Amino acid sequence: MSTNPPVITNETYAHRVARRFQADAFARNGLRMVIFLFILATLAPFLANSHALIRVTDGQTSFPIFLSLDPIEWRFLIYVPLGGVVYLLRRRLLTHWRIALCLVVAVIALVEIVLAYSHPINDPTNDRDRAASFKLLPPIPYSPIETTRDQFAPPSWKHPCGTDSTGRDIAARMLHGARTSLSIGFVSQSIALFIGIVLGGLAGYYRGWTDIAVCRFIEIMDCFPSLLLILVIIGIFESQNNMFVIMAVIGFTSWTGVARLVRAEFLRLSVQPFTLAAQAIGATDLRVILRHLLPNSLGPILVVGTFGVASAILIESSLSFLGFGMQAPTPSWGDILNESRRYIDFAWWLAFFPGLAILITIMSYNFVGEGLRDAVDPRLRLK
Amino acid sequence: MTTYILRRLLLIIPTLFGITLLTFLLVRLAPGNAALLKGGGGEGGGRAMTAEQRLATIKLYGLDKPPLVAYVDWVGRIARLDLGESWIDHRSVTAKIGERIGLTASIAGSALVLSYLIAIPLGVTAALRRGQGIDRVLTFILFLLYSIPNFAAALLLILFVAGGDYLNLLPMYGINSINASEMGTWGWIWDRILHMILPVVCLTYASLASISRYARVSMLEVLGQDFLRTARAKGLSERVVILRHALRNALIPLITIFTLELPVLIGGSVIIETIFSLPGMGQLMLQSLENRDNPTIMGITVLAALVTLGSYLIADILYVVVDPRMKYE
Repeated sequence: MSTNPPVITNETYAHRVARRFQADAFARNGLRMVIFLFILATLAPFLANSHALIRVTDGQTSFPIFLSLDPIEWRFLIYVPLGGVVYLLRRRLLTHWRIALCLVVAVIALVEIVLAYSHPINDPTNDRDRAASFKLLPPIPYSPIETTRDQFAPPSWKHPCGTDSTGRDIAARMLHGARTSLSIGFVSQSIALFIGIVLGGLAGYYRGWTDIAVCRFIEIMDCFPSLLLILVIIGIFESQNNMFVIMAVIGFTSWTGVARLVRAEFLRLSVQPFTLAAQAIGATDLRVILRHLLPNSLGPILVVGTFGVASAILIESSLSFLGFGMQAPTPSWGDILNESRRYIDFAWWLAFFPGLAILITIMSYNFVGEGLRDAVDPRLRLK
Repeated sequence: MTTYILRRLLLIIPTLFGITLLTFLLVRLAPGNAALLKGGGGEGGGRAMTAEQRLATIKLYGLDKPPLVAYVDWVGRIARLDLGESWIDHRSVTAKIGERIGLTASIAGSALVLSYLIAIPLGVTAALRRGQGIDRVLTFILFLLYSIPNFAAALLLILFVAGGDYLNLLPMYGINSINASEMGTWGWIWDRILHMILPVVCLTYASLASISRYARVSMLEVLGQDFLRTARAKGLSERVVILRHALRNALIPLITIFTLELPVLIGGSVIIETIFSLPGMGQLMLQSLENRDNPTIMGITVLAALVTLGSYLIADILYVVVDPRMKYE
């Protein structure tokens, strides 16, 4: 133990958590890796595309890549930076949260409306072979669904991760597959967090019969092995290859951990003096829950959410691997692995690279989760 | 203690009700029902049903009856182990599951036992050398293992040790070689063991990683307790302190860990049995899903949920039996 006298600081809880998180090398690098993966996924169409970024033909300058983007690519391009901006301006936005919320909703609505009425121009020709006085191609000049004559090419300078049975570039497919994995992980966990917080919060705050009912429901859901239940739902409702249904199903089956935790936190917090004080001055239940209980249990919730994203990504890739998730031509890491099964005796790159990608992603999220858990654990506060 | 166990047993009833209701709702809500009643399901070619089969299925799920009556009816059938007749080959689902459950149980069971046997020494070692090099290396390796998806591991293991361009030490798939029947009893057993190594390894390593992390935490918690200081103070050797006093207490929380691992193992066996072409429940599940064989799908789902429920019950009861300090409210 240090001999220094205790320093009284005005460090907030969030600052302390951030400082202790930063002190953990694994957590720090895990978070960097996650951010890096999100950047890669966001920029995927610019990193791997058969369309040129800039093309000058007969004195005319065009930007073929922008015309070829589909709605999901636009969403990624807009929403991920939007998330970054919201994070950077969080202080200012929180003070004017009503205006901020309206702004964010307006931007999302605008983007969705424009996307609903726009159609990507489907130009099957590539710019690699096209003559032009000037062209700037992406680093990987292949689109993820583009087939070439180079079948089963091992990794080389031309195809850094090789090609598959129809000559599709694996590096391009993996870059674009990252967005499938990351967005399914993120969205499905948001759904799970929402359900878990609502049910767990109700059980923990109101206790009694609500609590008993929610606990039974959690136990029932926990009895079904999650992968099995998800497979059954997707199989019976024949919703393979439907990204939104897959997100929803993973979300609806993986909220129990969050609910347990929120319930426990609310049970503990709702008898503490600050809650009683809030109730005593006449705060409504909703206000007590949203302004007092929820912010105080946010740390542990974030921890469970982070581990949840890792397991959702694993479930998505398992589903795709079994042919019940995203399927070719939609690029997905699990699907590349699924295809590799048939050629495993010679095409090692088909299994190795996507396997590595899943491993790195899951490990990064798990490191972030571990780091967060240690950072929010009050028992370690003195160290 | 008896009261506690009785109470715990009574709590199963609502859960059982919920499990069956949820499964039943899945069938009721499945979009295939209308087609089924109209005599459809023919567009898949192989899954066209005979008239009797259709009637049997309608009877099984009571699709012609009001939901409540149909549900009660169906639960009654499950209680009598009548899970209906497969849409694919007219055989009873109970029989189909029965002939496959042994293989899955033995693979998952050996994976569970193996992971406990390896995980506990690893976790205890890491805890005893907390913060030292070996603890960090072990923690990192276990973390790595925990994050490797089992299907990727299975594929790479096949590639590198089972018949790819590299080593060819182990068989690639199946439960026995084609000529296994000519090998004699011991040859047959050895052949079976060789075939089981890769599937069991693939199911073991992830559970191993998570159990040993729990073992480490549990051991660390015990190591800080006062009774260990007492044991050392009265002059017991370090060996006795660790093995008799610390380890035995550290093992108590690990009893319940297998309930966390069981659902993972059940899900994992679907993947592993598919990759290694093992005729177990997981493979049956996937085949039934691909063929939309609803009675079989529902049968396996209910069974898996009941097994998990049973494991929760066993863990809760074991816990009070093993740890006399437990209070039974």
